[in-house]
Order: sequence, then C-alpha cells, then structure tokens
Amino acid sequence: MSAVAAAIAEGRVGERLWMYSNYHCNLRCDYCLTESAPGVVRRQLEPETILEHAREARALGFTGVGITGGEPFLLDWMSELLGELAEILPVIVLSNATLFTGRRLEALAPLAGLPVRIQISLDSAEPRANDAVRGRATFAKVVAAVPELVRRGVGVRIATTLEDPASHDPEALERLCVLHRSLGVSDEDHVVRPIVRRGRAATGGLGVLAGFEQLEPELTITADGAFASPFGPTVRAGVLDTDLLVTRTTSPLAVPAGALARVVGDRAEADDARLGIR
Amino acid sequence: MLVTPVHPADVPLLARPYYSDSAERNSPIVTSLAHVPEALDVTMPFIATVLGPSAIAARTKELVILRASVLLECSYCVRTHSAVALDSDLSVGEVLALRRGEAGWRDAFPAEGDRALLGWVDAVAGAVGAVAPTASKALREHFSVPEVVELTLLCAATVMLNRYCTALELPASEATLRRLAAEGLG
Repeated sequence: MSAVAAAIAEGRVGERLWMYSNYHCNLRCDYCLTESAPGVVRRQLEPETILEHAREARALGFTGVGITGGEPFLLDWMSELLGELAEILPVIVLSNATLFTGRRLEALAPLAGLPVRIQISLDSAEPRANDAVRGRATFAKVVAAVPELVRRGVGVRIATTLEDPASHDPEALERLCVLHRSLGVSDEDHVVRPIVRRGRAATGGLGVLAGFEQLEPELTITADGAFASPFGPTVRAGVLDTDLLVTRTTSPLAVPAGALARVVGDRAEADDARLGIR
Repeated sequence: MLVTPVHPADVPLLARPYYSDSAERNSPIVTSLAHVPEALDVTMPFIATVLGPSAIAARTKELVILRASVLLECSYCVRTHSAVALDSDLSVGEVLALRRGEAGWRDAFPAEGDRALLGWVDAVAGAVGAVAPTASKALREHFSVPEVVELTLLCAATVMLNRYCTALELPASEATLRRLAAEGLG
C-alpha cells in the first residue's frame, strides 16, 4: 500500500478529493471563503482536468470527490461532468441552488440514481434572515429548487452555516429543520457548521479561527495549486491565501497527495470535529 | 525583487520548516522559492548540502562561490558571500582580489592549490563550451576525484543560484550591507 493510500485508509488524510471548479458566483455572501462574486477572477478548472484528477484520485485510494466553487453550476458543462465523475467515484457538489430552473434543472435529471449529491446552502427558515447574508430572493429560489430536485430523484443535502451554532436560537434551528423536511430532505442530510474566519468572513470578523491544526487534511485542487483543505484556497482582498498551500503541482496527483501525507505524518486528529467544521 | 516575498503569515506548509521567526533571517531565496513550496523543499536541502559544511574546507568552497558569483556578476551572491568569505578565513584583501576583473586574484593567492582552483573556476564559470584542458589538469593535480566532483557541483550550483538571484533581483540583507560597509567592501 502506498503512503498516500495508507494515510487515507488510516484517516490521516480525508478520503475525498476536493476540486474548486471555479471561483465566480452569482451571489456575494457575507461569509464567503473565496470572496466569490460575479466579477471575480474565475480560476477555472477544465472538465477534462477534473476527470483526470478523479481518475488519479481513485488509483491513489481516495473514495470520493467533491466539487466546490464559486458556484459550480455557472459552468454550463457541470451537470454533464457530474454524470461522468459518478462513473469514477461518488460525488458531492456544493451549490447555492439559485440557478436550478428551466434548462439547468432539466439537465440535472440524468443524475437521478447516480452517486451524486448536491449540497445546497440554506441558512435560515426566515427568508429575510437568509437573504440578508446570502442575497436577495435566494431563499425563495432554494425552497423552489429543492423539491424539484428531490422529485427528479437527485440526491440533496442542506448545509446551514451559522456564526455560532452552539449559541444559535434552537427554535430557529428547529424551524429550519421543519422546513428542510417539508422540502423532502431528511435530518441526516442536513449539516450545520460554523462560519470559518477566512476570506470575506475574516474581513468581516465573522466565524471561528481555523488553521492547519484545526482542519481535517483533505487534498484540494484548484487552478492555483493543491491545498491541505477545502478551507485552504481562500481569497482575501483579492489575494489568494497560501498558508495551507501544499504544492503548485497538481498533476500527477501523486505529487500533492504524497506531500500532504508527508506533512500530516502521524499528527493527532485535528480539531475540526470538535469545531463542527467537517 | 521581481516577485513579492511570501510573508511569514502566508507561508505554505512545506515551506514552514525553512522560515525563521525572525523576518530578518529569512533569505530572499527562501521567501521567493516559498511561492513554489515543492521546489523550495528540495532546493534548500540541496543548497545546504552543496554549499554548506562538507569534506572540503569552507575557505576553499568560498573561493569557488565568490569567484563564480563575480564572473556571473550576481550582486546578491557577491555581497552575501563576501561576508561569508570573511567568516571562512579569507582576508579583506583576498575578498577584494576575488571581486576584481579577469585574473585580478593572481597576486593575492600565491599558493599553487588556490591558483589551480581559481583558474579552473574562471574556466568553468567565466567561459562557455569545453573547459580548458590545462585548467582541468591543474585542478586534478591538487584535488582528489571526490573533491573534483564536489567542487564541480559547487561551481555549477553557484552559477544556477547566480542566475536565479540576478533574474529575480534579490536584495542582500541590511545586515550584510552594514557588515560590508564596515569592512570597506561596500
């Protein structure tokens, strides 16, 4: 067994390979790690690059891939790519779900029954509270899109990001759970995690501090290099953070994967589970 | 510098072992290479092995490094290794002689071994194409095979670093500049 495969099997390196498909987004959320917005530098990975990384990841011992951004579904080839990725490894893709209407919604239908899940951001059961953070009318778009996806058999998770989950109003959280259940998403497919103080959240003084020692090492590929966590390739004041950069080399994937396994070594489990970031 | 040095707060994981808590002590070679941490992670141990303490005396190695850097006109390396040379038992007069133009060193280095070495450095780092056979022969008469191999690697690595430091316009540290000024080598 290779050092990378051993590190994954022993849980020292996360079993999922993350890839930032792009950095641009149709929203401009207050706590966005990557300062994503409509006009930012796209830092885009090409679909064949993503597929090749997934093939390499499978060979190295990874058991899943994650796609994040930016908003991945701004790329018109994303739905088709997810189907191809699912033939290689199970996929989770993070989305704001505000684009799932008409042609884009129908393009997702072929994903029904495949090992693909779309993790959708929804931060409150109150439209005003949700939209204050994520942008005008996003709540209405999400609650319209989720049942449509569920009805088509597409896997959906709901991700709620809060300033401090521990002190959040439990009744407000329960109202959110009632809402996601009504949309067809079970409790086990609802994750609640804190804002991580990087990117725009750091500028705004929001969330929990999280460095390498606090994060689960998960190899993350971007157009700028390979990072030690999907919370790594963040952007602040337009500049890419490099404190969690592993290598600039991303292909062959064995280079950054081997380097991450070496950096992680035999360190104790990270604090991410305690912080609820994972 | 042509590129922004990587700030200590942004140091990539592989680069962390090469950074000092004291910003003044972080060389621009490290702070520039940190942009490509996997390159830093192999280059710095290589530099330490080839330019650092080894079976060959520090004075001998600094003759090669400083002379090659003068021939390649690398401002950063000439300044930095002028100071290192002083710490390696070379006199101010010898350093000044090495920093002169072609063959400026001859009067300052009467020992045959030093002359063979410096003549060979001039033939390797100060010329292109085949190395003059007379220079190679003279070197071989004063150094063993392992020493010739190590000196050749040292000279070649110095040329590589000369071009790296020159192309990226790396600045010598303030401490080095103060030291050189105090020694009359500014």
